[in-house]
Amino acid sequence: MAVNGNIYRPMKAVVEKVIDESPLIKTFVLVPERAFSFKTGEFIELTLDGIGEAPFTPSSSPLIKERFDVTIMKAGYVTELMHKLEPGAVLGVRGPYGRGYPLEKFIDKEVIILSGGCGLAPIRSLLYALIDIKDKLRKVTLCYGSKTPQDCIYKPLFSQLNQIDNFSTLRTVDFADRYWDEHVGVATVLLDHIDIDLPNAVAVVCGPPVMMKYGTMKLLEKGFPDHLIYLSMEKNMSCGLGKCGHCMLGGYFVCRDGPVFTYDEIKDQPHIW
Amino acid sequence: MAGYYKLDKEVWDGALAGILNTYRVFAPLKGVKATDYECIGEAHIPDIVYNHPKPVIPLKTFFIPIKENVVADTAGIHPTIIMGIPGCDLAALDLLDKFFLDEDYPDTYYASRRKHTILVGADCHLTDTHCHCTSYGLNPYPEKHHDLSVHVLNGHVWLSSHSEKGAHLLSGILDSVSFESMDEVPLEIQHVRQQQKRELEKRNKRLPNYQESTDAVVNSEASVWHSYSRTCVSCGACATICPTCTCFLLIDRPGFEKVRQLDACQYPGFERTAGGEDPLKRLDNRFKNRYLCKYLYRPEKYEAMACTGCGRCIDACIGKIDKNELLVELTK
Repeated sequence: MAVNGNIYRPMKAVVEKVIDESPLIKTFVLVPERAFSFKTGEFIELTLDGIGEAPFTPSSSPLIKERFDVTIMKAGYVTELMHKLEPGAVLGVRGPYGRGYPLEKFIDKEVIILSGGCGLAPIRSLLYALIDIKDKLRKVTLCYGSKTPQDCIYKPLFSQLNQIDNFSTLRTVDFADRYWDEHVGVATVLLDHIDIDLPNAVAVVCGPPVMMKYGTMKLLEKGFPDHLIYLSMEKNMSCGLGKCGHCMLGGYFVCRDGPVFTYDEIKDQPHIW
Repeated sequence: MAGYYKLDKEVWDGALAGILNTYRVFAPLKGVKATDYECIGEAHIPDIVYNHPKPVIPLKTFFIPIKENVVADTAGIHPTIIMGIPGCDLAALDLLDKFFLDEDYPDTYYASRRKHTILVGADCHLTDTHCHCTSYGLNPYPEKHHDLSVHVLNGHVWLSSHSEKGAHLLSGILDSVSFESMDEVPLEIQHVRQQQKRELEKRNKRLPNYQESTDAVVNSEASVWHSYSRTCVSCGACATICPTCTCFLLIDRPGFEKVRQLDACQYPGFERTAGGEDPLKRLDNRFKNRYLCKYLYRPEKYEAMACTGCGRCIDACIGKIDKNELLVELTK
């Protein structure tokens, strides 16, 4: 969203609520100064005034216009300071930018979602969008991995999804504690525990690069064609406009041509993971 | 206002003095070591260097300054004339205009500066060591994007207009002076053009053309990039001085202001993310990335050349890396 025709000027949004998701991850509920809508998978640039700007994909339902959630992992200078924000704080918002998930291509399909860590943030928004069209989908399976049970975010989401007829979830952790009774191991192992109707399935992968890489390899191994694996390539998207060059992925600007790509589109570009 | 108009040099200098009342004028002046654009006053008029191969800085610097507050500043509202622009820098606007004036996200700062600037092209009557525009199908004289062109030959000035803006300025000049006119490109200009073109073609006959360069870069062996990048110190001079390199950094200032500062993919950490991933961490990968960008990525995406053969990157490299030598080696 350009303010007064200026593509670099953010609009303002007020922090309404801060939710602790895990020791390193918080969700900020933001109320923008003007109505704001996004398609699931599109991202925004969030400015901490005078400090810096960083890209995030909203984690809330794209159907809600008055407020939106941004789930932020403490990963660097800007996000560390964002974690100190309290309700009432004002942030800058530019966007939405990029190409999100092609929901129309998921109709009549079985959607296999592989996600890890804070990569569940964009996926939560996708899941809300999928719930909205649940009658048009064969099945949705969420495979989610986190380091420890404490690092597992959006805990209420899983029970909510499991109550929907054609939705199911599997969770795994790298390191279990004594209360953990679900899977243990990296996220990709969950793919061995689900039945996939390959001719009618699409896969969505979103998580840390190492998980994206091995997750994609596993899906290929299982027989998924390149063009039905949707990857959310979160790079250093700085301007969001396809101009600053920081998020180049071969010939693509991830911020404009992505961030959602099929594996087919990017597999021949250098340094994708 | 089609055609060529011949004025005495003194008459032109007088007209230019009048133009200075309305426009801010930048023109090439000879400095201690090099010829570069300066904002001129009346006293500088006799010292303007006409038809020099290329000023030190590329034309892009006028439209995307090294550093600019892109939220608070008002861009380019002062009418400006830039004189002495070589054909290679004008050709670079093919890419820059598509890049900054795209339909979805037009850059108002770039647009405003382009709108309020009159571009005066100049034939190159000399060639610099690393000039190689003809290798890429361009010529050592303005062919596009210029509003006016000025040739100084044998004590006379030839003027011709190439746009509405140029025609308006030209008619203002011609209103009050005496001149001769000609419909076709004057023979003396044609002669110098052919001479310069032949000279460049002869000097660069080993160089691959644009498409051959693209193919060579795409099909290259890793060892070439490793060996040519050995003396690269990641200073980014090649990108800063390049007429088509556009990458920038957005720096935040209080009040939700943003400062756009030219950046370069040659700097370490250019693509690094908060998570620590850095696709261009290795020097040879960064080094090769710039060539891929010039010869493959940008031309494919924007259908415009991203190297116009000015040779500034070779002049500027403190590691003495010769892009042309590299391309010759790749096509051996």
